[in-house]
This record gives sequence, structure tokens and C-alpha cells, in this order.
Amino acid sequence: MMGAPKLCDDHTLQELVNAIQSGAKDEIEQADRLLVEYPEDGRLHFLRGSLLAGIGRSIEALSALRKAVELVPDMAIARFQLGFFLLTSGDAAEALSVWGPLALLPDGHYLRYFVGGLTHLIRDEFADSVRLLEEGIAANQENPALNGDMGLIIEQVGKLRADARGVTVEGEEMSATSMLLGQFAPNRTRH
Amino acid sequence: MTKLPRGLDLVIRPERAEALLWVKLRLEQRQEAREPLFNRYASFARSIAFRVRPWGRNTTAKDAEQWAYAGLLQAIDAFDPLHGSRFESFAKPRIAGSVRDGFAQLSELEAQWNYRRKQERDRLRSVKDGAATEKKDPIEALGEIAACLAVGLMLDGTRMMAGDEAPDPAPSAYESLEWRQTLLLLQREVEQLAPPEATVIRQHYVHGLTFTQVAELMGLSRGRISQLHTSALAKLRKRILREY
Repeated sequence: MMGAPKLCDDHTLQELVNAIQSGAKDEIEQADRLLVEYPEDGRLHFLRGSLLAGIGRSIEALSALRKAVELVPDMAIARFQLGFFLLTSGDAAEALSVWGPLALLPDGHYLRYFVGGLTHLIRDEFADSVRLLEEGIAANQENPALNGDMGLIIEQVGKLRADARGVTVEGEEMSATSMLLGQFAPNRTRH
Repeated sequence: MTKLPRGLDLVIRPERAEALLWVKLRLEQRQEAREPLFNRYASFARSIAFRVRPWGRNTTAKDAEQWAYAGLLQAIDAFDPLHGSRFESFAKPRIAGSVRDGFAQLSELEAQWNYRRKQERDRLRSVKDGAATEKKDPIEALGEIAACLAVGLMLDGTRMMAGDEAPDPAPSAYESLEWRQTLLLLQREVEQLAPPEATVIRQHYVHGLTFTQVAELMGLSRGRISQLHTSALAKLRKRILREY
């Protein structure tokens, strides 16, 4: 008979988050060590995926985010970030597929706004995209880093719309997405 | 006119797009990711082909590109994206090696081709001279030349039977029992030739020496080798006709 997965306690998890936020150099190693002990803890995979994405180890980051969603399908922020990673990888179809269950979030949830805004963006429906992204930013009190990401997208769309001739928009690094730690809190990741 | 970026283009990060392709190809075994990876690096491969290609050779840039593409595909199949190295660093020596190998193989083929053409010229000149001295009627002389060349081709076939090269196991018209019997007969008849004629035929057709090399081997002139060759083919042709 299979038992419940052994999960890292919130205190240890918060210590890891604190270490990361304080600029520890060995945060990935710390996450790896915890994952040896708690391989079924989706939160640790999500944290690790966020760290790896932040340093450009995209392949491992993607695997870690997928693992997180596989282990904890209802961890909305992990699901959103996996979809966003896929979107920024150019796979809009898979992003939409991953985001599908987020439609079950309550009305007014910021992630629903963000998903809606990004879905309009994929369809080149820029006005609706900006409107929903802005509503999402207004509704989001949890994850300021994510608001930064969405704000950058709004900015990009604004430049695009302002220049009807379609001058190439200079790529600005959306670094906040890579560092997802600001939006991560052990006690509020499940919805 | 500048292309209007799509909404998706605003958010795509190239390094993530590539990472996703590697994940699909290497971790998920999804072969459809191979082509976009190839497309992504095709110009990189062409640039290497352009640099590696030796100038002044009788090859086109297209040849070099094709070898570069072959190297690129091999690199894509062999690359471990989790190893930490960049794909360009991994692929560059492989692509360059593929182009260099291509040129080396081409050189070999060119040499074989030139060698083959030289042999054929030797044979044609030999049988042509022989036929011209014996036949007055040009049509009859031409028939004689063709017949002798045909014997030469059959002798080439005996090399396959006598040498180390195993015959192709695939069935073909040339592998009919009748054909093989004819070749065996021809081999036997070569052994019945006078020693200098047999030596010329054996060294030229079985060992592949040119007339010049056979001349050096036998201490005779090249012209004498040509005469021995013509007379040997004529005898072999008559003996084969006698058998049938």
C-alpha cells in the first residue's frame, strides 16, 4: 500500500527561500539536498525549477517545473509558470493546454486574468490582452515579481501598438520571471 | 517593409525555445523537434562549410553544404544538452570534419574515376589498334573492337570472382548460372594463354594494374603490353565463341 508522499516541512522550506533571497551561492545545491530527502515534494521542484530558469539552465528548469506540476497538479502558481515558460519557449499550444485547469480558479483570481491576457496576446488581440493583464496586476497582491513580468509585456505591446510601422521592439529582459521566488510562499501555493 | 511582430514573438526567448526543442528531442524522443533544430543551425553549418571548403577544387559550394548538413545532423543526434557545453562548440568540429571527410572521399572517388578512365583508354587504344591492322571494313573493325571490349568487361567480372571482394548477394542478371559459368570458362582460358598474354590479362584485369605498371612489371614497353592485350582478348573471344 502506497503511503502519502513525504513532504518537506514548511519551516525548512522557508529557510531555503530565505537563504535564496539572502543571496546564498549554493541555493541549487541546498534544493538538491532537500530533494534527495523529499523527492516527491512538488514545491521543492518548483523552487529548483525557478532557480534553474534564473541562471539560464532552461532544459533542467523545464523538467523541474513539469515535475512540480505532475506532483502537485493544483499548485496554481507552478502550473501558471510552467505554461508561461512554455509560452516564452514558443509553444503556445502546450502553454494553453497546461493552463487549462486554471480556469477552475475563482473569479477574480489574478492568474485567471493573466492567462486570459496572454491568450489574447497569442491571438494578437492586443487591446484585450493589455486590459486583462492590467486587471490581473491590480488583483495580484501576492506576487509582485509576476506583476513585473506582466508589466513588461504590457510595455512591449504598447510599443508595438504605438508604432504602426512595426519597428522592431528592443528585447528587454524579463528577468523577474526567471526569479520566481518573490511570488513563492510555502503556505499559499495551493488553491 | 518591416514585419509586424506577432504577440507571441514579443514574449519568446530564443534560449528557451531551443531548450524546449532539446527536451522534446532528447528527453521525450519526439523526432519532430529535429527539423526545427536543424533549421536553427543550418546557416551555422553553411558558414563552417564556407570556411572549411578548400578553394580551387573541382567542387561546388553545394557539395560542401551537403556535407556540412550531414555533420550537423550527426551532431544533433549526438549532442547531450545537459552536458553544459554549447551546441555550437559541440557541433563545429563535427561539421568541419564532415566537410573535410567529404572532400577526402571525393578525392578518392575522383582518383578511382580517373584511374578507371585511364584503364578504359588503354584498353580501347589497344583493341582499336589491333582491329585496325587486321580489318579493312570499318564496320567489321568496329564490331571487333566492341567484342574485345566486351571480353574485357567480362574479365572485370572475373576479378569479382577471384578477388577478395565478395559478390553482392542480391540476385541480379549477372548472377545467373549461365553468366557465372561463362566467367569460369574465361578464367580457365586466361590460364591457357601464353605466359606473357596471361600475365598482362591477370595483372590488368585481376589486380587492376595500368598498362604502364604492367609494362614496368614485365620489363616490356607499354606498346608491347598493348599488343599482348589485344591478342589475348582476341584469343579469349574466339575460345568463348567456340564453346557456345
